[in-house]
Amino acid sequence: MKARSVKGLDPAGTLGDNAERIVAVRLDELCSFMPRAADPAQVTALHDMRIAAKRLRYILEITGPGFGPYARTAVKLVKDLQDLLGEIHDCDVQLPEVREISRLIAEEDAKVLVRRAGDAADLDPALVKRAPNRSAHAGLGALTTHLLARRELLFTRFLELWETYERKAFRTRLEFAITERSGASIPPA
Amino acid sequence: MAKAADIEVTPEEPFASAGARIVRVRTEELFAHADGVLDTGDIERVHDMRVATRRLRAVLEIFASCFPKPEFKSALRDVKALADALGERRDPDVHLDAMRAFAAQIAPGQRPGIAKLIERAEAQQEAGNTVLALALEEMESSGLQGRLLALAEAAE
Repeated sequence: MKARSVKGLDPAGTLGDNAERIVAVRLDELCSFMPRAADPAQVTALHDMRIAAKRLRYILEITGPGFGPYARTAVKLVKDLQDLLGEIHDCDVQLPEVREISRLIAEEDAKVLVRRAGDAADLDPALVKRAPNRSAHAGLGALTTHLLARRELLFTRFLELWETYERKAFRTRLEFAITERSGASIPPA
Repeated sequence: MAKAADIEVTPEEPFASAGARIVRVRTEELFAHADGVLDTGDIERVHDMRVATRRLRAVLEIFASCFPKPEFKSALRDVKALADALGERRDPDVHLDAMRAFAAQIAPGQRPGIAKLIERAEAQQEAGNTVLALALEEMESSGLQGRLLALAEAAE
């Protein structure tokens, strides 16, 4: 996902003023994925939201110390969100791979069963019991179930987390914090 | 995971000089993580270097307006290529870890299917290492570190 461009940056200007513009755009970018990403089928929106969270986190890690105190809190909140979205993304990446392997070994087994059926008029269902990859199917089925269940659970956690952020006025408070200026520094999360 | 250096910034300082300072630190961190990344026995090295490229890429993009355009574009493209190569190695590393952990939790009779996934991830890890080795050679031969430091210099 290409990042939105930030207008009006001035290399000769202050770090605080330029960073304020960048954070405002990155924050808006992150929030713009909701409520679209609240649909579990919107895998791309969720993936893009993770990238947006990463971009916001990095700018906040660097420039957050120059803003109001809530910017420090926001670094941690955005990191937690990014991590959770990353775990969901891992499930989304692994599931098609597991299904692909399952399909390949099912096709391999099917060829063997056809050979074993010889000149029978129809395939004897009992032949499946002796398919060469029968135990592999069981393991891959278990993994598919695990990934589907984990994805669903993590997605629920994501919705809960976002709701918490909304309830605690994450966006408004960060928008206010970037208009404040301070001088301390914080380590990256 | 290796921790990034804490860089002190003040809101009043000029954007360009802050960018120069931060790019220098993140560049040094990236190159400090290059040793031993091809060792598949210690997957944290690749992870640390990948995180360092992400941080460097992020600061380059944040301070893009402070750098001379052609040199910036070329350096950013090379940092992205390096990050992609690190990802080619890191993704199978992560999958292997997850698959092995899952296999340990299921009945032995169910493991052959997971073993097939592990075999595939091991092949991807090897292929990823080849891609990464080439990217590291390119990083050296193109003088990426020097070009990044020159970018920082030009911003000041």
